[in-house]
Amino acid sequence: TCKHFSLQEAYCEYLRIIHFLSYALLEEATSQSKNCVFQTNLFCARVISLITVSPSDTSVVSSPKSSSPTKKHRRVLSDGGGPSSSFIPPEVFQQLQTLKLQDSGKKELTPIEEASRLNQKLKANYEARLARLTPGQAYQKTSLTLSLQRQMMENLVIAKARQDALQRKMEDRRLRLQEEANRRFAASGAMTAEEQEQRILYTNVLEYEQDHDWPKLWKAKIKMNPDNMNLMSELVSCLFSHSDHPVVKLLRKLQYCIYNELYPIVSTSVQSPGVEFRPSLSSQNLQEQGPIHFTVLSLSFCVLCISDQLLSLCLLSFECLNTATSKDLCLASIEEAFFTPLWSAVMALFRKVNREREQAFVASVRLYRDASPADFGVPLKLFPPEGRSPQGSYPYQSAVQELKLVIKDCCPQRKLDCIVRTLRLICACAEDYRCLHEAESAPKTAAIGADDLLPILSFVALRSQCPQLVSECAALEEFIHEGYLIGEEGYCLTSMQSALSYVETLHTGTSHLGT
Amino acid sequence: LVMAAGGTGGGKTYSFKVVLLGEGCVGKTSLVLRYCENKFNDKHITTLQASFLTKKLNITGKRVNLAIWDTAGQERFHALGPIYYRDSNGAILVYDITDEDSFQKVKNWVKELRKMLGNDICLSIVGNKIDLDKDRHVSVEEAESYAESVGAKHYHTSAKLNKGIEELFLDLCKRMMETAQAEERLKGNGVSQSASNRRGVQIVDDEPLATPAGGCCSSG
Repeated sequence: TCKHFSLQEAYCEYLRIIHFLSYALLEEATSQSKNCVFQTNLFCARVISLITVSPSDTSVVSSPKSSSPTKKHRRVLSDGGGPSSSFIPPEVFQQLQTLKLQDSGKKELTPIEEASRLNQKLKANYEARLARLTPGQAYQKTSLTLSLQRQMMENLVIAKARQDALQRKMEDRRLRLQEEANRRFAASGAMTAEEQEQRILYTNVLEYEQDHDWPKLWKAKIKMNPDNMNLMSELVSCLFSHSDHPVVKLLRKLQYCIYNELYPIVSTSVQSPGVEFRPSLSSQNLQEQGPIHFTVLSLSFCVLCISDQLLSLCLLSFECLNTATSKDLCLASIEEAFFTPLWSAVMALFRKVNREREQAFVASVRLYRDASPADFGVPLKLFPPEGRSPQGSYPYQSAVQELKLVIKDCCPQRKLDCIVRTLRLICACAEDYRCLHEAESAPKTAAIGADDLLPILSFVALRSQCPQLVSECAALEEFIHEGYLIGEEGYCLTSMQSALSYVETLHTGTSHLGT
Repeated sequence: LVMAAGGTGGGKTYSFKVVLLGEGCVGKTSLVLRYCENKFNDKHITTLQASFLTKKLNITGKRVNLAIWDTAGQERFHALGPIYYRDSNGAILVYDITDEDSFQKVKNWVKELRKMLGNDICLSIVGNKIDLDKDRHVSVEEAESYAESVGAKHYHTSAKLNKGIEELFLDLCKRMMETAQAEERLKGNGVSQSASNRRGVQIVDDEPLATPAGGCCSSG
């Protein structure tokens, strides 16, 4: 199945929720004035305007508009609690991303850069020769100096002329390519902002293809083997490895926008769960949580818009990718490239939102960390008989270890794969344990249904002792495409969430272990 | 290039999610396993074994991908039901004909499903273990009239004797297809839907290179 979604539907849904939430927040705000409500409203307004209205400039981030929100954030920070050191400021984040960009792409020198490099060499030569002059040859110094100055000046003048010519050529080319883009999207009356944006992006792609050969070579290769899926997947990873390609540049720009918005929220102190535990939401807490839920909502909508926009740019760059399977490949690459540097900030946001739930999880772990699978209602035949576990290990240990890896990865899809592996390991272990009990009976279909799976999964979740899983799963649900969630991955994520919710309720004593 | 274009559902594949509900010990798991064993040998069962199963069907020339989600029957997991059955197209509610209590549980689920998902979800109520008819504690009349009163279909099955299972799934698929087609027509007539299509069927246009599935079923 193709994960492609209808953006319009998603947008309507988003507006409906915003409508509902802003009504609720308004009610709340009329009783006490709340600045932060306004603050988070700005979040989506800013990001959405960035994505939908002014995406014209794909040359990464140096545009002045990106600097103004940053200033605002500083002010917010000095108003609120002190900044914590765990997150780098957006400017540094941007620099780091750009640095990676330059590392991987060899950059050609402009004529002026070339000339000044040459001049530096000349100057070094000149200094070396001066040093070798004997006192008697001092008269040569003047002529050497003059000659150096003349040479350096000439080099610069020539370079300047070359640069100007080059620039004129580039401008001509840009105009020509713009016309080509206009022809491709035949104009029908007035252009919408979206159409305009698409043209500009397409012009950037054309311009890139003038300077680089690999897109042409790839297109030819795909034309020869149009049905080769391996080739498609190679093309997609090739595209995302070229950090100077318009697709990757746009991705970096949008990534920076999101980080810029997340930073002020997540860099204020986060209390780690387990320090104190309050069993119920106080009314004050609800007020803090309202706007932050709003942020999660805006974020997931923005991510949806962003992947849609990046996907259409991929398809503009390579028409051959316009099939359901190739689109999935693109979306997966977009997701991985987009989330990897952002995940720790995203996670900090989700951990703030889910703090109460994580605390409940911790409380249950404290109470039941030594419980056995039997205490969770796992039938005796599905865990090793007393004393049959290898020294120092406990039942389903391999599944617990796999589950702990979820928080190590930074890409939603890979995290989801990790959860799927955990459930499969549980099934494999269950089968092994059953064989221990029924050594001689022929191996029947030792299939475990949800009646057995859920208790075991709850045991495994608790033994992982990892409250962050609660927030990780909540984030996965938000960011994994719906089309994926009908399949095995969706089933595993749903079961994982059920097991976690169950563990959260354990410490209250209302749900009994076992039976 | 052979694909029929234009006609409703011509080159389309329906994807349906079916959730399996029932108290522990009513035989949900055996029921699904039976359904799959009939067509395949064990190695085709996904590594998640009996909890999550997929099946590809070909019904009246249309392709259907079925995803069957098993749920835990124990009381303590009930609060978590909604996250399992959201976006479901169909539900199979199983009770044990020798256990009146399990029938009562089915009634509770029906109420909850109708409340949460409305009338778009196709319900099948299943009285399992008809091989134990001599110990029957839920009368056929009562069960069937209850099913009718809530707009559900009723089936009698025995996982042990492999009775009534194939019909149950086939019939449910047909009803889900009808619901999906009605929804499509509604959309085609320009009648706007009140809610987004989140819950709805996912109908996926085939890629041009996909060839129509040959035989009836294969496991995914």
